[in-house]
Amino acid sequence: MTDFVEQCRREWTRLGVPDPLAEEMATDLASDLREAEADGVSAEELLGSSAFDPRSFAASWAAERGVIPEPPRRNARRRPLALLVFTGVAAFALIVSALLLLTGKPTVSLVRSSRAVRPHFVPAPPGAVLPPGPTRHVLVASTSAAAPVEWILLLLAIVALGFAAWLWSSWGRARPSAPA
Amino acid sequence: MIPGSQRRTELLRGVLDLCLLAVMDEVPAYGYEMTKRLRDRGLAIVGEGSIYPLLGRLERDGLVETYRAASNGGPPRKYYRPSSTGRLALALGVSEWRAARDAVDAVLAPVKVEVTS
Repeated sequence: MTDFVEQCRREWTRLGVPDPLAEEMATDLASDLREAEADGVSAEELLGSSAFDPRSFAASWAAERGVIPEPPRRNARRRPLALLVFTGVAAFALIVSALLLLTGKPTVSLVRSSRAVRPHFVPAPPGAVLPPGPTRHVLVASTSAAAPVEWILLLLAIVALGFAAWLWSSWGRARPSAPA
Repeated sequence: MIPGSQRRTELLRGVLDLCLLAVMDEVPAYGYEMTKRLRDRGLAIVGEGSIYPLLGRLERDGLVETYRAASNGGPPRKYYRPSSTGRLALALGVSEWRAARDAVDAVLAPVKVEVTS
């Protein structure tokens, strides 16, 4: 019986049960087993099939009592910082895109340009006709409202902020609670 | 068909917390003392249904209060008694048990049991 209690104590230590609690449980169990033995009651009669599996018995008791500390979550501390940065960037993008849309200038557009790009910085001679070059998409500052990037940026910022809000709420739910 | 001993274990598992609360409500008791009281009334703890994890759960849920006191000639023991929440849970549980027992009795009452040797 002493061996049974000793195995339980080792399991509680392994599981991280605080020493005073493990000691209390071991003392109570040992006292009960001694009294049962004196009454002619076997450990099996007292503990059922758990008498043959001290580790499982000890783990079950500690878990039901709520005295096994939760293991620390990996990245639990780093996550808020990363989330904070992500939320900040998303909020910044939202503000910038909103300001650009409200003021209207400069209107950043994605436009097609078929102007040929001359190699390097050689100036074209006066009156020279440049051959048609490949079509390119370039970002230009203009007053054109064609396919405005601001709207795309605003949409992305809103989606990113929504995602950030979801991450914050899920992180809040997953935070380790204080031990009972 | 579930074997008789297994059925008894499963039936007991569902109400063992009520039985523990009931026996400690009469007089506060420590672990082994409760098993003795249950056994005296015909409820032997069989199978894997040890009372210790269950007592731990009752304690965690605030359904029992504990204190340490000297037992008769033995070392100090941890005594359990129902808290006010535990008494309420016991009353509700007993009510549920009686309703379930009556309903099952109503179904099983017409069954004629003949024991032949």
